Amino acid sequence: MQYLLQLLISGLAIGAIYGLIAMGFAVIYKSTGLVNFAQGEMTMITAYIAWTISTTVSGNVFVVAVGAILAAVVLGLVIERLVMRPMLGEPVFATVMVTIGLAVILRSAINFIWDAYPHGLELGMGRGIVHLGGIGVRTGQLAVIATLLLLLVAIWAFFRYSKVGVAMRAVAADDRTALLMGISATRVHALAWAASSVIAGIGGVFFALSYDLSPAMFQLGLKAFPATILGGLDAVLGSGLGGLLIGITENLAGGYLGSGMKEVAGFAMIIVVLMVRPFGIFGERDIERV
Amino acid sequence: MIKHLAVASLLLSASCLDIGPAVAADPGITDTEILIGDVEPLTGPPALLGVAASIGHKIAIAEANAAGGINGRKIKYVLEDDGYVTARTIQGVKKVIDVDKVFAMIGISGSGQSIAVMPVLEKSGIPTVIDVAPVKFLWEPPRKNVFVVGQSYEEGIIHLVNFLADKNPGKKWGLITQDDDYGITVRDGFDSVVKAKKLNVVYSGNYKKGQQDFSSDMLQLKDSGAEVFLAGGIIAENIAMMKELEKLSIKPVTGIFWPGRIEPVLKLMGPAGDGIYAVDYVEPFAGAAGKAFLEKAKPLVSEAEFKGINRYTMTGYAAAKVLIAAIERCGKQPTWACTIAELEKTKNVETGVMAPISFGPGVRFSNQKLQIMQADAATLSFKPVE
Repeated sequence: MQYLLQLLISGLAIGAIYGLIAMGFAVIYKSTGLVNFAQGEMTMITAYIAWTISTTVSGNVFVVAVGAILAAVVLGLVIERLVMRPMLGEPVFATVMVTIGLAVILRSAINFIWDAYPHGLELGMGRGIVHLGGIGVRTGQLAVIATLLLLLVAIWAFFRYSKVGVAMRAVAADDRTALLMGISATRVHALAWAASSVIAGIGGVFFALSYDLSPAMFQLGLKAFPATILGGLDAVLGSGLGGLLIGITENLAGGYLGSGMKEVAGFAMIIVVLMVRPFGIFGERDIERV
Repeated sequence: MIKHLAVASLLLSASCLDIGPAVAADPGITDTEILIGDVEPLTGPPALLGVAASIGHKIAIAEANAAGGINGRKIKYVLEDDGYVTARTIQGVKKVIDVDKVFAMIGISGSGQSIAVMPVLEKSGIPTVIDVAPVKFLWEPPRKNVFVVGQSYEEGIIHLVNFLADKNPGKKWGLITQDDDYGITVRDGFDSVVKAKKLNVVYSGNYKKGQQDFSSDMLQLKDSGAEVFLAGGIIAENIAMMKELEKLSIKPVTGIFWPGRIEPVLKLMGPAGDGIYAVDYVEPFAGAAGKAFLEKAKPLVSEAEFKGINRYTMTGYAAAKVLIAAIERCGKQPTWACTIAELEKTKNVETGVMAPISFGPGVRFSNQKLQIMQADAATLSFKPVE
């Protein structure tokens, strides 16, 4: 039983990180209809910036958190303004290719700005081990699970009750009608990129806190993308939950079926789920009236 | 007619002489310069080895240039990035040979990349010294123009597992490897000792390259009751494994392989990394030879490059020293044929960072002596055990 519980807790912890990054994918898709293939790289850049703040400015957790969030906002806004906005109205394929190009550039930037060595994010917390009923877990892992749950509630409330959230949903549903209603689509897009960068960046910072920081970190995006597909590309909350499901599935497969199955299990689950629900567990079916 | 032919011959000879006395038959060499080419991963995670190796080459080149160059010619280093992508390695090697027209090649990316580029090197006939990722295919069968400094991955693993087995008789073993050519080599070396010493292997895992979370793998290891563990990851993987073991409150006797034997790894592992064993053929930085190398390197590279020094800098430095010495022995007019012949004559060349290097007729592999080291978390260093 303890073996199972250990697998579940570890799965939830890594799944929460996938979930945060997956929510980043979904926020952009929901608002712009675009899949951002540079999401993993944006996550990595924010984590590296957090590490830089911790080593050069202050290791205080609040300073690092505020600095990293601001940096993530700027990163999202700069990418939207300089790279994505000029692509407005262009074919989706071309725009997606731009995000792939952006991913390569951001990945290379790590070596140009920082280095290829692994680094640890030392904030004086998050690395300690606590034992819950004999099960060892790092405090950072507990914190990321709690953060994901809090963000799920906050984002649900944001889209449901805030004016900006409703505007984002309106643009996602029909940007022309939204424009007629006085909503600026470009502003909504900019906000979506900033929000996506922050949410995914939080996942990256927690990963760096619990594991380490290395140029291979962008691969988290490759794990989070299936979580978004599983939860539903247009379902922000569903993507978060999809991350948890992928994390748990991976760990159970790895623990009971062997190491080799760990990386395969999540994708196998996606195939099965998409065969039943092609729009994801929580995604909305596209209805076209003819 | 004969008179006309004689005049024509004289004119032809004069025109040839007019080109200048320093022109050699092979490319990459002028009156003042000799070009040495290299292709390494300078971006992406493997940049950790590519950048460090290139720093080693730069140190040896700077040292030679400071001493007047190779018989008066300064060495110019032409470095290309392949991003650890095999197609780019081939493209990069072709570029430095055909476009930059270098005189010799050094380094050359990872094991898979150097294997893939071998036909290009062989066809060109350019003198080459490989130092980053020594694998048997590179010297078996021996290629006329390709020399390899180092020790084979398989021999390294055999040496490490033999050491751990002798030190921990009758214990239960666990192994995890990566699902690529590197992992297969590690597993082959491990299996040969398992067979020879009849080791009791209770856990054998195989993870997918790029895996970052090892919680279920290490839980399986714990559940198996393994007492000796060969962590077959490279860098980040080994760190993640050790931290998981710490979380699970177990500390098996652990061995790692040289690609992961870099000092920053120990800082990230923290107390979990204390006492782990490693095998290598280059000197540890904590020893006298390592300290002397760092002292030598400091004035020859930038501050940023100095920070990027790791064990691969030593392998790169040693290979470059051997190549430079061979070209130097060819005198004022070095050629490819002479350089290859002189490389073959390399006998007990001291580099200060590993055992003396030798090649020989039909021997293209330096077969470096191995040593076991143990991590000391307090000083964040590896210290020799044997």
